[in-house]
Amino acid sequence: MKAQCVPLCLLGAMLFLCSVHTRDLRRCLISTDVHTIEESFRGIKKAIQAKDIFQNVTILSPSETLHSIKPSDVCCVTKNLLAFYMDRVFKDHLEPNPQILRKISSIANSFLSMQKTLQQCQKQRLCHCGQEATNATRIIHDNYDQLEVRSAAIKSLGELDIFLAWIDKHHHGTSAA
Amino acid sequence: MVLEEISTSLIMWFSCALIPCLLIDAVAVLPAPQNLSVQSTNMKHVLTWSPVVVPEEIIHYSVEYQGEYESLYMSHIWIPSSWCSPTAGPECDITDDITATVPYNLRVRAVLGSQTSAWSTLKQPFNQNSTILTPPGMEVTQDGFHLVIKLEDLGPQFEYFVAYWRKESGAEEHVKMVMNGGVPVHLETMEPGSAYCVKAQTFVKAIGRHSAFSQAECVKVQGETLPLALALFAFVGFTLILVVVPLSVWKMGRLLRHACCPVVVLPDTLKITSSPQKLISCRREEVEVCAMAGLSSKELLGVFI
Repeated sequence: MKAQCVPLCLLGAMLFLCSVHTRDLRRCLISTDVHTIEESFRGIKKAIQAKDIFQNVTILSPSETLHSIKPSDVCCVTKNLLAFYMDRVFKDHLEPNPQILRKISSIANSFLSMQKTLQQCQKQRLCHCGQEATNATRIIHDNYDQLEVRSAAIKSLGELDIFLAWIDKHHHGTSAA
Repeated sequence: MVLEEISTSLIMWFSCALIPCLLIDAVAVLPAPQNLSVQSTNMKHVLTWSPVVVPEEIIHYSVEYQGEYESLYMSHIWIPSSWCSPTAGPECDITDDITATVPYNLRVRAVLGSQTSAWSTLKQPFNQNSTILTPPGMEVTQDGFHLVIKLEDLGPQFEYFVAYWRKESGAEEHVKMVMNGGVPVHLETMEPGSAYCVKAQTFVKAIGRHSAFSQAECVKVQGETLPLALALFAFVGFTLILVVVPLSVWKMGRLLRHACCPVVVLPDTLKITSSPQKLISCRREEVEVCAMAGLSSKELLGVFI
C-alpha cells in the first residue's frame, strides 16, 4: 500500500504545482510606476476637468465596465484601454497650452511604454480576451461615439484618474510574466 | 505657337524657382547648430551642440522634443522644451522633458531677433535606458556599536541596495533595500572587536537597471579590553584624589590659621627653666622678712583702710 501511495502523492504534487504555475502565467502584469503617471495627471486634472461640460455622462463607466473585470481579463482590458487612449483620445484632443501638452505627452509616451510590455505577453498568448473584456471595451467605445469628438476626448482625458487607479490596483507589485 | 507657349511657361517656371534664391541672398542666413549629442549620467540628461557664432551678436537657441508616441501618431507635433525655449548656452538640461522609457527625437535651432535658423535634429533618438549609472557615494559611520550609512541622494527615481558583512571568513552577506538617499540608515549593531564592510548599488525602476556596486568600505569596532584599562585608570585616579584632596585641605587650613591667628612664642630669655615649687617657697620667705621689721598687721591694715 505504502509503495503505491508514493507515486500517487508525487503525481498529485506535480499537478498542484502545474496548476499554480499556469494560474501565474495567465496573469500578465506591467511593472511601470503608475504613480509617476498619476503625478503628471494630477498637475493638469483641474484644468482638463474644468473644460468638460457634460458632467452627468461618463465614458469609462467604471461601475459597468472596470469594476467587474476578472483577473484573467485584466491584461486584455488594459491593452484595449491603452489602445483606446492612444488611438482615439490623445489624437482627438488638440491642446494649445504647452504646459498641459507636455503632461499629456508624458502620459501618452508612458502608455506606449506599457503597451510594449503587454505586447510581449500577447506574443506568449497570455493576454486572452474573454467575452466580458470584449463587452467592456465595446461599451466604452460606444459611450465615446455618442458625444461630439472634442467633448468626448476632453471627458476621457478627465477620467484618466479612474483608469490609472484601476491599473495600479490590478498591476501593483509584480512584473510581467 | 506651341513652341512659344512652351518657352513662356519654361521662363515663368524658371523665374519662380529663382525667387526663393533671390530672397535668401537678400537676407544673411543664420546657420543651424551642429554636432548635437546627449550626455546622460544617473538619469540626468543634457543635450549639447556646437555654438553658432555671429560676430557682435548674441545667439539664443530653441529646443523641441517629440516622444515616440508623437512620432508614430502625430508626427507634426513637436513640444517646446521646459527650460530651453529659448536658452542662451549651447546646452540644455532635458531631464524634465524625457519622462518615459521610449525613444525621443530632439531638435535645436538658432534664434537671432526675428531670424531663425533651420532645425537641426539629433541623429539617433535618445532613450533614457541608455543612461550611465554610477555606484552611489556613501558615508559609513559608527554610532557607538551601531553601523550607520548615509547614501548620496540621486533623486526620486533611485532605490539603493546596501550589502554589508562581518569581515571574517565564511561570514554571511546581508542586503538591505533603502528607498531614499541623503538620510542616515541603521544597518546593524556590531559586536566589539570585529570589522564590518559595506558596499552599495543603485536601482532605477523606470529602466529596470542596476549600477555597479561601490568599493567596499570597512570599519573596525573597538574591543572590550580598552574599556577595562580605562576603568582601572579611573579607579587609580579616584583613589589618588581621595587621599590628596583631604591632605591639601588640612594643609591649607593650617596655613590659614597661622596667617590670621598666629601663636605667640616666648623668647628664650623669659623661659623659666627651674620648677614652679621652688619659686613659691622663695616668695613666702620674703613676706615673713617683711612682717618682722616692726609693724603689726593691724597697723598695716589701718594704713590701707
